[in-house]
Amino acid sequence: MNTYYAANLLIYAGVDIIAVLALNLQFGVSGIVNFSFIVFQAAGAYAAAVLSMPPHTAADYSFQVYVGGYQLPFPIPWIGGALAGALLAIPVGLVVLRKLRSDYQAIALLVTSIIANTVINNARPFLNGAAGLALVPQPLENQVDTGTDNYLYLYIGLTAVCVGLVWFLAARIVNSPYGRTLRAMREHELAATALGKNPVALKMTMFIVGGAIAGLSGAILVGFLTVWAPSTWLYPETIILFAALIVGGRGNNLGAILGALLVPVGFEEVTRQLIRMNIGPPNLIPALEWVAIGLFILGFLWFRPEGVRPEPHRIFEGSPEAELVEHVRTA
Amino acid sequence: MSAQPERERPEGVEGPMLIAEDIHRHFEGMHAVDGVSLEVPRGKITGLIGPNGAGKSTFMAVVAGTLPASSGRILFEGEDITRLPTYRRARRGLARTFQLPSEFARLTVLENLLVAAPHHRGDSLFGALMGRRYWVKDEERLVDEARGLLKRFGMSAKESDYAGLMSGGQKRLIEIMRALMLHPRCLLLDEPMSGVHPRVIEQIQFYLQSLRADGLTILMVEHELHLVEQLCDSVFVMAQGKLIGSGTMASLRRQREIVDAYLVG
Repeated sequence: MNTYYAANLLIYAGVDIIAVLALNLQFGVSGIVNFSFIVFQAAGAYAAAVLSMPPHTAADYSFQVYVGGYQLPFPIPWIGGALAGALLAIPVGLVVLRKLRSDYQAIALLVTSIIANTVINNARPFLNGAAGLALVPQPLENQVDTGTDNYLYLYIGLTAVCVGLVWFLAARIVNSPYGRTLRAMREHELAATALGKNPVALKMTMFIVGGAIAGLSGAILVGFLTVWAPSTWLYPETIILFAALIVGGRGNNLGAILGALLVPVGFEEVTRQLIRMNIGPPNLIPALEWVAIGLFILGFLWFRPEGVRPEPHRIFEGSPEAELVEHVRTA
Repeated sequence: MSAQPERERPEGVEGPMLIAEDIHRHFEGMHAVDGVSLEVPRGKITGLIGPNGAGKSTFMAVVAGTLPASSGRILFEGEDITRLPTYRRARRGLARTFQLPSEFARLTVLENLLVAAPHHRGDSLFGALMGRRYWVKDEERLVDEARGLLKRFGMSAKESDYAGLMSGGQKRLIEIMRALMLHPRCLLLDEPMSGVHPRVIEQIQFYLQSLRADGLTILMVEHELHLVEQLCDSVFVMAQGKLIGSGTMASLRRQREIVDAYLVG
């Protein structure tokens, strides 16, 4: 296993962990079935790309057309990616989350994802259409030689810092009284409303926070890959993230991380190894990967719907159970 | 969202707690509530009875804000709340329970109560991000308050159990306790005794009486007439979307029209 391969694996793991943590805030904790999640990651990637690239009229870049091209230094493209995800969440959330019932919200968001992909695919002057963007500058490429192992370590480090930051924010939200209110809304929206909670405000907030985190994950990914095109963010990508969360454990940040490592990273790796072994006709293994992911989701929903790491059972200090545990420990 | 009180109780407001003026609610030509006007007195338990399909639950939903009124006005403590969304009515002190169990199933019993607590510093995105130290005092105060309620309702031993695993009667109690955590001034109860074991019915009856003794105003829909007779100070009768009578149960039993419509069946 060479360094590039290992770095690739770690950075993908980081990006997927960030994405699944965001999806956990939206779906696992708040009950928003965001089937357009990948669009927010894509928005962050595109924003980071056009913020860091030179104008499309520049030499070497004239084979593509796109808006922007500001050549802004790191970390502005990453911050811009997060902002783009958050900003996109406002109009989408206002249209989808206010009036529709939650099952219709899911369908509306899935359709949003397909429409967004089709539009970007066909509107070439905006973000270079189906061919996508290439030669996206990497963070700090003017300061550090991007061809070295050291740059890979640096990129892994930057990704890890972002993972840590997102984990910290997600933990604060999930373990707070605010997180409890979000979980109550997920369980019974009408009852939460009757207790003075404003469900539209709660959902919009989580949609925007999740959008920002998704945008950041896209920015990290595009900085590493240096290319981004509509084919990288088709709606099934969202399903993989949902699978990760269902397998890992909805409502549990640790479960989200575990799921991210098991499903997107684990499945990709197994598939890659199987392809190398040349089993069956070409495309058999990638196609079987989807079958396996589908079976995995069904299997977990059937046999262990709470996932590998279920949502924590919150026992308060001074409760009969807590005292019993204390008693056993001292005895 | 932190649940701040939107306005303090206006000084010296007396008279009825809740006034409904000519409330209509139509569903595509069907008049579920058809011109109901009534007044709910302070500190009393008021009953709302009527045969199935009379429009009682629809009326309650309109008062709570879950369904908008097609026309008419609702005054709560003298202020027009007709256009306020449900959550704002709740923050003003108008709490409700539901006809069907509506517990937060995957939250513990104690958490169910804590969700309802207003004025919690940790119950906003900002408060959450500030961390535990920022809101832990509020949390401790509210846990104490919630445990006080659990004790009063005899459910202390269940505080760490998931609410979804409780019995029908216990879920009713959770809903009532949860509503009480809001410090409501008026409680709307939609069939609080339905599907509940007779022993728990007695319990709920006892608690409702003690809440009245504390000065809480209650408007309740109930089918069991002997319970209404024992609990309610006055009663309104609805049939086919209209109010057809009011008074004490004893006086209602003497009115022929009402007896025909409902009491005999």
